[in-house]
Amino acid sequence: MANDVYLQVAVDVPLRETFTYCCERPLPTGTRVAVPFGPRRVCGIVTGPSAPGGLDPARIKPVLEIFDDLPPLPVSFLEMVAFAAAYYHHPYGQTLFTALPTALRQPGNVRLPDRRHWWLTPAGRETPPPAAHRARRAVWQALAEEACTLAALRPLAPQASAILKAWLAEGRVASGEPAALSFREGPVLALNGEQQTVLQALAGALAQGFSAWLLHGITGSGKTEVYLQLMARVLAAGQQVLVLIPEINLTPQLIERFAARFPDTPLVTLHSGLSDGERLAGWVDGWQGRAGIVIGTRLAVFTPLPRLGLIVVDEEHDTSFKQQEGLRYHARDLAVWRAHQAAVPVVLGSATPSLESLANVEAGRYRRLRLTQRAHGAARLPEVQLIDMRRKKRTEGLAEESVEALRTAQRAGQMSLVFINRRGYAPVLACTDCGWTSGCPHCSSKLVIHLPERRLRCHHCGWDAPVPGSCPDCGNVDIRPLGEGTQRLEAALTAMLPEARLLRIDRDTTRRKDDWDQLYQRIQAEEVDVLVGTQMLAKGHDFGSLGLVVVLNADSGLYSADFRATERLFALLNQVAGRAGRADTPGRVLIQTQWPDHPLYQALCRHDFDGYARTLAEERQAARFPPYCSQALLRADAPDLKDAMAFLDRLREALEPLAEGIEIVGPAPALMTRLAGRERAQLSFESCSRQRLQHFLSEAVPQVEAAARRASRSLRWSLDVDPQET
Amino acid sequence: MQNRLLLTATVEREEALRVTPAGVPVLEVWLRHQSRQTEAGIERDVACEIQAVIAGEKARQLSGRLSGCQIEAQGFVCQRSLRNARLVLHIEHVEFVKG
Repeated sequence: MANDVYLQVAVDVPLRETFTYCCERPLPTGTRVAVPFGPRRVCGIVTGPSAPGGLDPARIKPVLEIFDDLPPLPVSFLEMVAFAAAYYHHPYGQTLFTALPTALRQPGNVRLPDRRHWWLTPAGRETPPPAAHRARRAVWQALAEEACTLAALRPLAPQASAILKAWLAEGRVASGEPAALSFREGPVLALNGEQQTVLQALAGALAQGFSAWLLHGITGSGKTEVYLQLMARVLAAGQQVLVLIPEINLTPQLIERFAARFPDTPLVTLHSGLSDGERLAGWVDGWQGRAGIVIGTRLAVFTPLPRLGLIVVDEEHDTSFKQQEGLRYHARDLAVWRAHQAAVPVVLGSATPSLESLANVEAGRYRRLRLTQRAHGAARLPEVQLIDMRRKKRTEGLAEESVEALRTAQRAGQMSLVFINRRGYAPVLACTDCGWTSGCPHCSSKLVIHLPERRLRCHHCGWDAPVPGSCPDCGNVDIRPLGEGTQRLEAALTAMLPEARLLRIDRDTTRRKDDWDQLYQRIQAEEVDVLVGTQMLAKGHDFGSLGLVVVLNADSGLYSADFRATERLFALLNQVAGRAGRADTPGRVLIQTQWPDHPLYQALCRHDFDGYARTLAEERQAARFPPYCSQALLRADAPDLKDAMAFLDRLREALEPLAEGIEIVGPAPALMTRLAGRERAQLSFESCSRQRLQHFLSEAVPQVEAAARRASRSLRWSLDVDPQET
Repeated sequence: MQNRLLLTATVEREEALRVTPAGVPVLEVWLRHQSRQTEAGIERDVACEIQAVIAGEKARQLSGRLSGCQIEAQGFVCQRSLRNARLVLHIEHVEFVKG
């Protein structure tokens, strides 16, 4: 028989094992193939040789096609996948296919952009085409200047491809891979003393193997400039840099800053907004070593980089680094693992480091570097003041002081920001006559009023309905919006400050691709007096002349049932406050609150992150919450909460004998019990030892799978290791 | 079930017209009533103040025209809200009283 080699192949299915296929020749590990799987033809990745074992060789199916469009996936990539699959207890095949760009998950050859460069041979240079042949002349002139890709020539002459083909046959042009990475550094900013010290420490760690650093720098302390100057050394040595950034911070302005600093270094951005083709091209450029810099959101952590020299994770505390479905990985944690694998330094930067990273500093696993001053000599930290709203008259959610401060700032020509982390007009529609509120029919949440479209929308499941003309329960027509969202504030401020130029920025005003760009340009051109916005505005952007920040409705994070809520609220408010008083304007921050005495606000007024982080750490330690224990959550959901709870109850009983040194808590309904028509419950596993928890989970997961097979079809479950949401 | 109130009153105050999220205009007014009525065979002074509300297109038509006017308002009464038992007159018909 011709098919006499057996191979292990991973496919994208929720099963723990890989599958055996046969092939007429041995294939290297990492080869992409098409295999039959049930009635389907699917994409598979060869993970190694196999023996038929107990299988009947006649029933082993052959590999259908071998894809040679790309070299086999590198071993280091497969190692990382194996680690992620083991640590997050996720099926290997599904983990592997999550790590791959979508285009490589299909059972077909991929079309890669033609990156070949074309140039004139000496013979070609001597024979310019006659000027009358416009197209040929244009192509020749472009090539006479510098080597070009076909894509660069097409705009000059649509038939460029045919022209090149003809010239190639005549020996007038040649083509090949572009020259190796070149390096040039654009103008750098001067560093202050602290920045220099930090840069020296980090530069000293380059090429010295693995090390993990927590760069704790206050807002405006110039962390990015430190990254850039550190990256310059890595790139100059011909190595690659991976930069991970929260989605919300990955703006064209940021990319532009990196690109301007390293004008000759090919830079790739990777995020979920790209088309499959764009993402594939970027991924392959990183993998083939063509890209010097890969900047991306969490999914970029998997990009193979053969000459990796440095990893930077900016805003390391940001929750967007944790994937909340499928493979629930934490990109920051995988980045640290990856730095270890590649024996390179990793820098985690933040103004408000996560308690996890602080605990790692405490335990000696990470080293901490600090930037305690603002980079601009003149820039001071803003003055933070609390407005006690307990017995205060308010108009559309705004205290009189806030409106007055906005007015004063506008007269002084300063830009202000009104921050409210809630988009839409109002978070709920209510009938004061009978008590009806606009609940989502599918979630335990309220429908938000979107006034311009007169719609009620669920921000959790996407349910969308017209605003009812009258109360659905009692018929009262005078139903009212309760509370404030960005749209309502925009409307109120338009009435209160008729002279001010307002700009609202939230997910609704930035829905289309270039919306944000246009809004940003208006801000840069100083055509705005008051910005009204959500956390989109809080994070990452340097607006230069922000003189005043007014914060509304922050209190909801103070007494949440999620133990991480205060940590997050502090980080968010610290970031919002950090928008004020950059460059040379001293800033002012006003926080409207019902709880002016809360330690969180008190710490915020003193700019005392360290003190507040210590308080939170002590609370967590006392309660033995993460990071002072390792946690995993087993979640189950079903149309009826009873079924989810019963499933977890049975598992708890079954798992208890295995749970040595593990505390099992629950099951309990999830904080948001109902979501998109399904009711959710969870069971928590906690241990002071990460290893013990991991060992327990590897024994527990097969039992969970077996129980799920016996449970009703409508039940779904998932395991979340190191969950970020409770 | 009967719920009908007919009241001659002066419009003491008229709020700015507002619009519900569904686009229905709503006008709130304060009515002041003063008259003489007979009780147990004896004539007496009567005075009261009541909040009233007009909803729908009529609210838009009347907005800005009521303040200070004497009107005859007819409608039904309903308590102000779930937690506030004060009565509010929901006006269905308005007639301006001459003089």
